[in-house]
Order: sequence, then structure tokens, then C-alpha cells
Amino acid sequence: MNKNNYKIAICAFFVMIVAVIACKKSFLDKPLVGPVTQASLANKSGVEALLIGAYSLLDGVGAAGTTGVPGLTAPSGSGGVWEGSADDWIFSSVPGGDDHKGSFQQDQGAYFLPVQAYNTTPDNLYLNDKWIIVYESVNRCNTVLKTMALAKDLSPADTTEIRAEAVFLRGIYHLEGKKMWKNIPYIDESIDISKNNYLVSNTIDAWPGIEADFKYAAANLPATQQQIGRANSWAAKAFLAKCYMFEGNYTDAYTLIKDIIANGQTSGGQKYQLLAHYGDNFNAATKNNAEAVFSAQMSVRDNAGGQNGNGGDVLNFPYGGPTTCCGFNQPSYSLANSFKTDPATGLPLLDNFNDFDIKSDEGIASWADPTKPDTFQTYTGTLDPRIDWSLGRRGIPYLDWGLPPGQSWIRDQTNAGPYSPIKQVVTKAQQATLAEAYGGWASNQATANNYAYIRFADVLLWAAECATEANDLVAATGYVNQVRDRNSDPSGWVHQYPKNAAGIQDPSLGTTNIPAANYKIGLYPTFASQDYARKAIRFERKIELSSEGMRFFDLVRWGIADVELNAYVAHETGYNHSFNQSSATPSVKYIFYDPLGTPNGALYGVPVTPAAQFVKGKSEYYAIPQAQIDASRGPDGKSSLTQNPGYN
Amino acid sequence: MPSKSNVLACSCIVLLMLLGNSVFAQKTVTGRVISNADKQPIASATVQVKGSKVGVQTAADGTFSVTSPKDIGTLVISVVGFETVQVPVGGKTSLGDIGLATSATSLNDIVVTGYTTQKKKDITGAVTVVDTKALKAVPGASPDQLLQGQAAGVQVLATGQPGAASQINIRGITSLGNNNPLYIIDGVQADFHDINPNDVESIQVLKDAGSAAIYGVQGSNGVIVITTKKGRSGRATISYDATAGVQEPIGGNPLHLLNTPQYLEMSKRLGTNTTLYSAPNWVLPDYVFSDQVSGSRGIGNQGDPAVDPSKYNFTADHSADYLIFKVNKQGTDWFHETFKQAFQQNHTVTVSGGGDKGTYLFSVNYTDQNGTLLNTYLKRYSVRLNTTTTVKNHIRIGENAYVFYKNNPLFANLWENSAIQHVYYSQPIIPVYDIGGNYAGSWDGPNMGNGDNPVADVKRFGRDNKTNQWDILGNMFAEVDFLKHFTIRTSFGGTIDNQYSTSFSPTPYEQFESHNLANTFTEKSEYNSTWLWTNTLQYKNVFAEKHSVSVLVGTEAKDGYGRHVEGTRNDFSATLSNDPNYWVLTNGTDNQVNSSYATQNYSLYSLFGRLDYAFADKYLFGATFRRDGASVLASNVRYGNFPSVSVGWRISGEEFMKDVVWINELKLRASWGKLGSVLNVPGANAYNAYGQSTQSSYYSINGSSNSSVPGYLQTQIGNAGTTWEKDKLENIGLDAVLFKNKVTFTAEYFIKSIDGLLILGNPPAVVGYAPPPFLNAGNMQNKGFELSAAYHGTVNNDLHYNIGLNFTSYKNKMITIPGTKYVDLAASRQGNLVRLREGQPVGAFYGYEVERLFRDSADVANSPTQADAAAGRFKFRDISGPNGKPDGVIDAYDKTTIGNPNPKFTYGINLGVTYKNWEISTFLYGSYGNQIYNETRYWTDFYGSFAGNKSLDLLNNSWTPTNLNAKTPVLESNGSASTNNSASSYFVEPGSFLKMRYLKVAYSLTPSVLKSTGIDRLTLYVQATNLFQITKYTGIDPEIQGPGSANGALPNNYVSGAFGIDYGNYPNNQRGYLVGINLSF
Repeated sequence: MNKNNYKIAICAFFVMIVAVIACKKSFLDKPLVGPVTQASLANKSGVEALLIGAYSLLDGVGAAGTTGVPGLTAPSGSGGVWEGSADDWIFSSVPGGDDHKGSFQQDQGAYFLPVQAYNTTPDNLYLNDKWIIVYESVNRCNTVLKTMALAKDLSPADTTEIRAEAVFLRGIYHLEGKKMWKNIPYIDESIDISKNNYLVSNTIDAWPGIEADFKYAAANLPATQQQIGRANSWAAKAFLAKCYMFEGNYTDAYTLIKDIIANGQTSGGQKYQLLAHYGDNFNAATKNNAEAVFSAQMSVRDNAGGQNGNGGDVLNFPYGGPTTCCGFNQPSYSLANSFKTDPATGLPLLDNFNDFDIKSDEGIASWADPTKPDTFQTYTGTLDPRIDWSLGRRGIPYLDWGLPPGQSWIRDQTNAGPYSPIKQVVTKAQQATLAEAYGGWASNQATANNYAYIRFADVLLWAAECATEANDLVAATGYVNQVRDRNSDPSGWVHQYPKNAAGIQDPSLGTTNIPAANYKIGLYPTFASQDYARKAIRFERKIELSSEGMRFFDLVRWGIADVELNAYVAHETGYNHSFNQSSATPSVKYIFYDPLGTPNGALYGVPVTPAAQFVKGKSEYYAIPQAQIDASRGPDGKSSLTQNPGYN
Repeated sequence: MPSKSNVLACSCIVLLMLLGNSVFAQKTVTGRVISNADKQPIASATVQVKGSKVGVQTAADGTFSVTSPKDIGTLVISVVGFETVQVPVGGKTSLGDIGLATSATSLNDIVVTGYTTQKKKDITGAVTVVDTKALKAVPGASPDQLLQGQAAGVQVLATGQPGAASQINIRGITSLGNNNPLYIIDGVQADFHDINPNDVESIQVLKDAGSAAIYGVQGSNGVIVITTKKGRSGRATISYDATAGVQEPIGGNPLHLLNTPQYLEMSKRLGTNTTLYSAPNWVLPDYVFSDQVSGSRGIGNQGDPAVDPSKYNFTADHSADYLIFKVNKQGTDWFHETFKQAFQQNHTVTVSGGGDKGTYLFSVNYTDQNGTLLNTYLKRYSVRLNTTTTVKNHIRIGENAYVFYKNNPLFANLWENSAIQHVYYSQPIIPVYDIGGNYAGSWDGPNMGNGDNPVADVKRFGRDNKTNQWDILGNMFAEVDFLKHFTIRTSFGGTIDNQYSTSFSPTPYEQFESHNLANTFTEKSEYNSTWLWTNTLQYKNVFAEKHSVSVLVGTEAKDGYGRHVEGTRNDFSATLSNDPNYWVLTNGTDNQVNSSYATQNYSLYSLFGRLDYAFADKYLFGATFRRDGASVLASNVRYGNFPSVSVGWRISGEEFMKDVVWINELKLRASWGKLGSVLNVPGANAYNAYGQSTQSSYYSINGSSNSSVPGYLQTQIGNAGTTWEKDKLENIGLDAVLFKNKVTFTAEYFIKSIDGLLILGNPPAVVGYAPPPFLNAGNMQNKGFELSAAYHGTVNNDLHYNIGLNFTSYKNKMITIPGTKYVDLAASRQGNLVRLREGQPVGAFYGYEVERLFRDSADVANSPTQADAAAGRFKFRDISGPNGKPDGVIDAYDKTTIGNPNPKFTYGINLGVTYKNWEISTFLYGSYGNQIYNETRYWTDFYGSFAGNKSLDLLNNSWTPTNLNAKTPVLESNGSASTNNSASSYFVEPGSFLKMRYLKVAYSLTPSVLKSTGIDRLTLYVQATNLFQITKYTGIDPEIQGPGSANGALPNNYVSGAFGIDYGNYPNNQRGYLVGINLSF
């Protein structure tokens, strides 16, 4: 053994150790790669970008996969996409009676059927998803404010403007939760996980916080904005009015609304007014118009795989025709019937609209041979022309997509009826530019149709309500008639397509001025009483704003949800439609009974309980998600969230 | 940052310093080592000059040539599985054949353990030495899957998908996230999965703290130490090992599905009158059609104009498709259309040799394994070069290098929308192809649901998905012996992997929902690298002949890095898009999306040491210590210390045991120590991080319909206090060798407590929905018992047999879960299927307990209130209520643990018989007591759950008023909370199984016969796999992995929390037949 060798070896060993230790400190400090820290965003451009992030949840989509476990995809196929939909079709249009759930009975059944039957349980994952979307949205607004507090390059004017926009959005998001649950925690920028102060009670009324946000926004936002998607002071005032309406504060609401009607304008500087044509409200090409008080902006073909389109409504298309998924949100019989008008006056049948169903093709085979005219004859009675901008039905032009052939556009007619949703669908001519596949699903499922949180028609009908409560029935009648009157112009109606050589209406030939159905609409004479006025206004809201997410919350606001909705349930189930969560009531024959008689020699129909039933005092508000109650427990095991009445 | 280059520079300096050279005069002895039993040469036997460090290993033909500077008195020859012999040389230069007797004992084997080697008899920790001969007898391309049932304490869940990783856990699940053991391959941390099994020399599994704690914060999931083969002194040998064979799909009707007449009969009983299945005659049409132009779809009989074949039109862009298919009135057997016989082959050529100055081993492998699911395959090409050079007698320099390239597109098994799911989601009425020879599917006619044609899915998948991966892994090392008792070693190594894939999705023109979808092409590339630099100094000495001391100290640095980039475009020219040569991103016209991300860089710096002391070869003591610093943790909680101590008592070495002749060896040992895991701390866990997302934070603020403005969102809620999971592991073991070395026996009992289990923080949503940080919040405990035994029997000189048995059991319990007291996992269409709860095992299924089916309306009325209760539906058990007592209402309070996917135990049995030149061997593997949540029954046992195929049980044994004890609830159109919409015990099935993994018959030609041919060794064999399986499970295969994060089912850090949920499993119980050859010359 050469003695020098070990000396070298020992030296080498110490060199190694010294080298590694010398390297050590920086060696274990690894910076973030990709994401950035809050400090990097604490400047004007960073805060503005966070504000865009807060706006981006106006469509109710994009708050990660929402199942209660971050990163965990929601119940197969859900992904937290539609539960948060800005138009609230799941939590308002469907349980409000505008629409059936649609599709076949089981689709999304575990979570959706209880919503439709007014018996959600606290462990319903849809509710947790919705809650998460609401509060992630609130959090994004608060993140803007918290980061802005660290920024040093903002002028006082910038600070005020950004704060006003952020609290405006925060107001909208809280209002969304308030409508759903009533008892919600109000979260402002003082709440932070690092301060361990996030166990906020939901028994403290959130209205003052929400109102304060809108008041700040109304006072500090400009009347117009460079970018049409940004909130202006008039939008803030309209939302404040909406809060007052929900609070039953008609006096303050009326003052504000009168100002809005007289002086309000869009962020683009257009004075608020009704569009000449009702249908233009649902056309992506005419969005951000004078009637759109405030909208969630939708974009497609912007290299986001369709996911900035109207994702909340991704399921709400006929199951054929414009797209092949997914047949949800099918308008109800009662809604279709609501468009019946008196043949003489053109007024709606406030009391008798549901006496019989307008003729539909329920149970009739599809129009199968396109070379011959469809033998199905549509309903010939008088109808409000808004019907065919509000739902798709057999034999009536469905935008420029052609005449719906019946069942072959419907996923499961026996479950959900014969009608198709239409308001968020783009035209065939627009599909190349204003629609896209949603994340690689079916084509055209993502559309650029905005959702208008508040339309001017909505404001006018609030005004009618306020006038009624102020017992100014002349004014009330005037507001309602203003909304109705634009539909008197036949150029705004749905028209037949020209006929081809075979005598069949052909959408490729353009359009005619022949009304597609027997439309008749008239104006109200001055309301005779407050009661009548209320009834007429409430009905008008139903048909003017159908499938726009208003109905359930309106009915609850008016305190008549139990009566209206239980009557609605009785009507829909009485006609053999699997409306109930439980799919059958004793009067329904087609589920458990074999319609052919007795292949097994036995009939074994079984009544099912409980049927859909709106329970007064409970069903007005949804269950607080159990996952949130459990996550809000303090060290003593007590939760800061209290469950809503009737759900324990 | 200079650290990486500094470290590299340092290592080069050290290597240079270690170099040197000089030459000595020597003396040489040669010979050949053979087995007494079969007279076959024994390779890899160690031939040691007694009383010196000089030693060599025998070559493949059993020959050796040992050279020593001094005269050689006695040679000690030892090898695994044989008795060690001492051969006096007596001045000879050639010893001829030296026969070894087979032995069950392996206590003198040299075992590679943590950073060092030990004799098995001196080990005080729980170390399983895998019998690599038995392991390699199992056919398979990846050593991880071969490990199944071969080592007590190691559980392996494998899958039939070629190239898919197995899930391995050592001593149960000890973490909710990544639960993989640490693999050390020739001293380098690397993935074991793509190592050529033929290259493997030895596998040791370090299971307890005594053995694994020296790996500190990386050791808590156990450590698997692998060494690969090295060349040996002597003449060069070439060996060729090959197998070829086929695998057969499972026969019969594995999913118990209906054919067309049965499906029609079911529709008839339901009375679901549709266009396709129509009352009152219930006669199927001959054809269905779909016209893309008019949008009409319908049915027709032979001769009807709508289905006139002349109308058939298949257009490139599908805009004018007129598709017609002939209704399959017998019914399409989708399973056997999708699973077909599959061919596989595997070839390895190994060249090795060496002289007294060094050795080399070079191997080349080609693996080509097709799966029975069409177009699933693994093609792998690998090369290994291991060399060592001895400089002077005390310096050894070498390298181990392995390079492989593979093509292995993997599809998401066990999840919705897998091709296997569509086997039961596609109606039998749909044929595979339409009348034009194109794929038939649910779009082509009415009432056929929205399932995919699984054949179309897999064929497109195979044609249109190309993956390329090439990895390099290995190290270079230098060792110097000095001052008689010291050895210094440095090793620098690591891994580089590159993955490149392209995938094209054509318009699935036959699929209902997607038939209009634009075609899409995605191209992805990923690169990851790690390096590991280890330095150790070892001191070994024996004092006063009784005190044997070994001390090792070392440092280790590790660093990892990776990046990923991908691009996607849509709308490739319809007419050109069938040509794969056209598929480049540039040709796509729409939806131009690209992205890239980086793996958060991570590093680890460690100091460690171990001490082994033995007194009089009877009393053994070991201690290890490691200090780790991890970059993924915030700097104030970054460092951790991991000690362990272990003791052993070789009872058989005591005087009083000398007379107990039937006990050859008996050792009692115990260990205690601490380990950790940082695997499940995400790189950004300590930070409040913000990022951008086109989908979640961009917004069209300017009102444009076709553009959006970038925005930011919070992407991570940080927690600077999160640190590693701390494990405390206690172990007691007993090793015995009995009955003249015929029986070996090891038993272990352990308690493993995980403190500070990483659980995702679960703050209420009011703080936002960025992923919360992982917190050290829970506690979990595993207790287990392991047993392995072997028996080597000799009937006479010609007939020998052996039996190997191992047994693994553990019992897992979640001890505490803070905050909510539960964690919900595995969301499904029935709600969460898994809830981790205090006192319950990890992965426990959660839902209602089904008492029975409701008998009639009166039964419903007399039962607790239950949503959607009705006759023929499930009656759930009233277990609890708001006050903790049954309350007459079935609601969330009544949900409970309804099943446990953890087996009570698993076991492996190896049996072998040799008679003269013949050898028959078999291996059985079993799992007992595990349960499976059979989610396929949600789809097939309820008509209401999507319009796919349904089960025979639903048709033949569903509830009616006269069949009250039916298998399935009432046949009804709709679903409900009282049937399929609630997770319940109905879906839980026993998953115990016993599989005969293989049966092998081998014939080895007699060496004397071969002598004239120049061949040293030639063995031919035939082998059958999975000849039988015993199970009560009704699904395809009860061996079910977790759903995995790749399927979107679980976040990365919870992948070990839910498993045993069956959505349709790629079977790992298929019969196969192989022929094989082992040849060396």
C-alpha cells in the first residue's frame, strides 16, 4: 500500500464534503418556476390582471374542478361546469318551473333530481360545487383588493376605480349566494387564511355588506367605460335596485329604478332601451346592446378550447340538429302553455293557461322523411310571439337550423317532454364564428352568447312591481305594456322559411314574412287592482324572462313559491311526464306498468314516495353544503355555518 | 446558480485523484463450479481466496480463474442456494469440476443493503432477499410486475396492459399520495419499471427502520435495492435468452352482458316503446340509417328506400354522410371484438467477461409485447454496459449505464370512457362495421345511446397515438481501499428521460355526441433529469477476534428538473387527414393552443452514517443516522434527522444450542427507527402562488366574441410549515435454518406509525378555491405480520424439489384526521365512493348498507322514511341519525363503511421439481379478504343508468312481486336514490383470488452432450400462464389498481387513498403460452 494514496484519498474526501457543504445553502433554495408570488403582482398591471381574473368567473365557470376536493374532477362529466352557470338554470329555471331537467331521467340524476324535486340534501355535490364557485369568485375580488394594498405604483384614481370594479363583482357574487341560501357569510378582504379569521358566521345578515359594495361601486364607477365588459355606475345602480327588490324595499328600489330608466346607459354609452326585436337579446351577434344592462361576456375560438364560451349552458341543446348534446333544460308544458293568449285581447290567460296543453308531438314519431312535408300540425290557437324565441318545438323554425323533426332532436321525450331550449343557441350561419366545441366534446356546445345578468326589460318590470306597491297602477300598467308592446311588431316574430319545390319549408332559402304560428299579443288596460297588477306582472316576468334564471328566485321573493310550484308539479306529472325525481306517482302509468299488458302475467306498479313537493319554510332556500359546514368547524368542533331550516 | 456545476467539478477532481496504476506478480488457479444435483454449471458463484480479499465470480459456464499475489491455500466457494464449500488447493493450478450441494440456507450470502454490503447472518434489519431465479421465471417485461408474490411484505397490483406500471407497496399503504418504494439501482435512484429483467442480478427489499432509515426522508415507503449483473473474470461468454408466445383473451361472457334477443326481451318487459325497439310487435328492423344532410335518422327493412345501399355515402369531412348499418340481430360480442389473441416476444443477448484488471457486461434486449386489447403494446429496445476496472489492487473504477427506447401508448384503465367501459356501454345491436366497411356506432340510428364503438376507439387509439420515450440511467464510481481497513467510494449518476408523443383524434363520425367534432392533433414533449452524487467512507475491522466493527459515513446530494411542452390544433384537411404523414401542427387551422410547464426543481442534501457491531458473532448491534435537507420544504422546516437502532441475537451461536442439531441457525432481531417521506409535498406547497389560465382567468372584457384578455388567479395556497411525513417503525423478526439446512424460515412483526400524514388542507371555500396546501395533519397506523419459508428436498440424486412460501398481511387504520374528521375521495355518478374516516382503513368504501329489497308497498310504509323508496328497490339500513341513534329516516347519517379494499393477506407459493434434466416449476399468487366496489354494475344492473348494454342478472333475476329475493332490483326505466343513485353495499363484492401465474416445464441438455458444439448451457422450456384462477368476483379480474391521477379521478397527492374500484379492468388473468430458450457459450 502506497502511503501517499490514502493521504490523497482522505484529502479527497474532505474536499468533497467541503465542496458540498459550500454549495449547500443555495442548493436547497429553489425558486418557483412558472407561477409567480403575490409580490410579483403587487403593481398596476398585476392588479389589473387579477381583476380580469375576477371578471372571468361572471360566467360561473372556471373555479377549478369543484367537488370539494381541489383538483379532483367532479362527478363524472360534471367538472363543476354547469352548477355555477351564470343563468342559474339548474337552481332557478328548472326548479322554478320554466324548464324540466331534460335528458333522460338518470342523466346527472343523483345530484339534479333532488334539486328538481325540492328535496336537496346537505351532501348534494351540486350544492357544494355552487358554493365553491360563489366563494372562489368572491375570493378573486378580495385578492385584487389585498394585492392592491401592497402595490405602490397606483394613483388614487386607479385605486378607486379598481376597488369599485372589484367590490361591484363581489356584490354580484354574494348576491348569487344570497339568492341560493339566504344565510351566507359575507366575506371581504379582511378575511385571509393566513390570519386564521375565516370562520365567518352565516347568521349575520349579508345584505348590508352587499348593498355597501354596490353603493361604493355606484358612487365611484364612471358612467361609461372604454371596454364594454366593464361595470359602470349604472350597472351598479341596477344591481343595488335588484338587492332592494329582493329585500322587499320597494321604496328605495323605485327611486333608483326611475333614475335608471330615465338616465341609465350602458358602459358603451348607449341609453338603456328595449331592443326592437325580442329575439335579438339572444343573438351573439347583437350582444352588448342597449338592453343589456350588465352581461357576462362569452368568447369562443379564442384558443381556449371553447372554455370561455357559455360553458354553464353546455348541456342545454337539443339532442340533434345544432348539436348532439345534451338535451338538458327542456322547457316545460306549463311554460309553453303560458304563452297562450286570449284570441280577442292578446293578453295572457293568467288563471287558465294550464287548463289544457297546447298541442305537441309528445309520443308521436319523428318527421322521418325529409322529402315529404311533416304531417304533424302545430297548435293553431293564439300565442304570444315570444314563445318561439323562448323554446323550440316541432314544425316551427328553429332559428335557421330548420324545422325540428320531433323526437329525433329530443333525448328522451317520455322523460322530459317535447320542447327544446333555444335562447343560448347560435344560428347555423354563425356556427363557424360564434360557436365551438366545448373542450373537445360535441360541436357547437360553446357559444359566444352572453348572459345578461340584468336586461332593461327586467328593470322595467321591477318598476312595474314598485309602482304597484306604491299603488300607482297606471304607471305599473305602462311599464308592463312597454315590455309587451315591442312584440306587437310582426317583423320581430319568428317567420316561416320559404317552401321548396316539394312544398317543404327550407331554411337554406332564407326567410319569409309569414308568421310561423298564430301570434297575437295585446296591451293591458290599466290594472284594476293591486292584486291583479301583481298577478299580471309576475306572469309577464315568467314569459319575458323565461329560462333566464329568474323564476325560482322571483317566486321565493314574492312568497308564493309553494302554491305556484306545487300546482306546477301537479300539472306536469298529471300528464304522464316523468317530472318527479322519483319518476312516478300513482297516477302515472308508463313506468312500472307494462303498457302492453302482461308479458309476465303480472302488473306490478308501485307508488313511490316522496314525490316532488315544495315544502313551505324549507324549500325556499337550498341546504348549506355539509362539506362546508364540516370545513368550518373551530377547535371546539362547532361550525361557523348554521344549516338552513328543514335540512337537519 | 453555481451549485450544480460546482458539484460536478468536485466530482471530477475526486475521480482524477483516485486514479493511479502499478502492477504485481501473481499466481493463478482455475476450475469449474457445478451443481451436484443436475451437474449444470453454476454461474456467479463467488470464489474467494481464504484469508484474503482476493476473489472472483464464476462465468456463465461455471469456470473461474482466480489470481493472487501470494500462494493460494484454500478457496471458499459460495453462491445463493448452495452450501458453501472450502476447497484446499494443494498447489494445483487446475481444480477441475467442483460440485456444490443445494442448500436452503443463504445466511452467508452477501447482501447489498443501504450503501454497503452485509452477510445475511449479520443483518439486524428486516431485509428480504428476493429469489431472482424464481422471479425471472415469471413471464413479463417489467421487474415490478415480476416481484408480485415473491417477497414477504411487498404487495404488487399488476395490470394486463403492456407496459403499465404496477402498484407496489411495502408494508401496506402508508401515505395517501405517492406510496412507491425508493428504488436504488446500482446505487442510483431510478425507476425500476423499464429495467430489463434479464439484467437483474439481485433484489433486496429493505422494510424496517433498521435497514431503510439510512435513506431518511426517502425511506418511509421501503427501499428496493437492485444490482445488475456484472462481468466476471474468465473467458468471454455469450448468452441468449428468449421467449415467444401468445396470450388469449378471457373466454365466455366476462361481463355477463345481453345479446340482441335478450336486450329486446328486456325492452319488451319494460315496455320502453322506441323507434328501434318498438311495440307492439317487438320486431327489430333490418337496418338503421343516419342522414347528416337532413339530420334524420331512422330504421328500415330490406328494400326500404331509406336504407337502400345506393344511398350510403361516406364523405371525407362527414358533412354529407349517409350511414347505414345492418342490425346485428344475434348481438355483437364487444368484448371479443375488442380483445384478441396477442403475440409477444423477448430477446436478450448478453456478452460478458473480464480479466484480473477489469470486467465488462454488455447486454441488448428487444421486447415486443402486444396486449389482448387491440393495439395496446410495449416495444422496448435496451442496451446495458457495466464495466469495472481495477487499478493497483485497491482502486476500483467503473460505470453502469442503461439506455432504453420504448413505444408504449397507455390508455386510461379503470375509468369512464375507457375502451373497456365502452364494451359494456355499447349496445349489442350495433355491429362493428357498417355496410360500407366503416365503423358502425350510436349515431347511425335511433335509440342506441351514446356509447362508443370500442373497436373504433382502440383501433384509432393504436393508429393515431405514438409515444416515444428514451431514458438513460446509470452512474460512474470509484472506490479506494486504504490503510487496510478503510474504503472510500464516490458515485455520480442519475437519469435523463425524454418523452415525445403525438396523437391525432379524427372525427368519430359514428359516435353519437361527437360525430361532428373537428379533428384534433396534439404533439407533446417532456424532459426530466435527476442526478445523485454519493460519497462514503467505510471502516471495517475486527478487534481481538471478537469485536467486529463496521462504520460508514457519507454525504449525498440529489437534484431534479423537468420541462413539458405541447401544442394542439384542430381542423386538419378532411381529405388529407387520414395520412399520418400529414399530421404536423402547422397543418391544423383552428384552435391553436400551446402550453408548457416546468416541474418544480427540487433538491435534497444529506449526511448519513451507520455503525454495525458484532460481538463474538452472536450479539449484533446496528445503528444508522441520517440528516436530510429538502428543497420542497420551507427553509425553517427543511432539515430532518432520522435515527434507527437494531439488535440481533444469533441464538444458534450460543453454547447451549450446540446440541440442538435440527437447528442450524436461529436469530432473533429487533429494530426501532424513524423514517420520512417528502414525496407528497408538491413543489409549490410552501408558496402562495398565482398563475394564468386561458380557461379559468381569461375574459373577454372588451366584448369580443373571438378573443379574451389574460388575467391572473391564485393557483396555490401556501403553507410554510408543512414538512415530511414522519414514520416510526418497530420490527421484531426471527430467522431460522432448520433440519440440515433444508428449511429456512423468517417471520416478522411490525408496527408502522405515520405521524403528520400529509392531508390536503380543507379550509372552507370562503378563502378561495386555489389548491390548499398539504398539511401534516393525520395519523395512520399499519400493523403487520410477514412470513416466508422455503424447503429444499432431495429424494435421490436425480430428484429434487423445493417449496417456497411467503405471506404478507397488514392492517391499516386511520388514527386521526383533523378538522372534518374525514376525507372524501373517488367522486362518481353515485357520489363519493370512498371516505377516509378515523378508525377505518385507508380506501374504505362508504355508502348505505343494503338490508334487502323492499317487498311491497306495505313494507315501504313500515320501514324508515327513505327517498324514492318503492317495492323492488333497496331497503337501506337505518344506522344513525343526528343524535347518533337510528331515527327512522334514511339520510346521510346512515352512510357507513361498506367495504375494505385492503386484503387481509396476500401470499405467493413457488413450487419446483427437478428430475435429471427436467424441471417443472409453478408459481401461485393469491389475495384474501379484499373487497371490490364493482362500479360496472352501476351501468349494467340498472336500465336507467345510460342506454348501454345490461346484465343477464337484470333480465333474468330482477325483482318481481313473485321473486322477492332477486339478485337485482326491479327492472324499471328510471333510476332513483333507492337504487343506482346512491353508493351502497350492493356494489361491494368479495375480491379474494388465487391465480396460478405460470406452469413451466424446462429441459436442460446435458453438458457432455453439448461439449462438442461449444455450447456451455442450453435450456428449452414451455410455459403456460394463468392456467386457472379461483375467485368469487363477478367482474373481469379482481386484481384492481387504484384509479390513478392520470384518469382524472384523484388529485396526484391522493392516488393511494382510493383503490379497488372497478370500471372495467384490463385483465391480468389471461391465459398465455410461451416457449423459451436459455443458451450460453
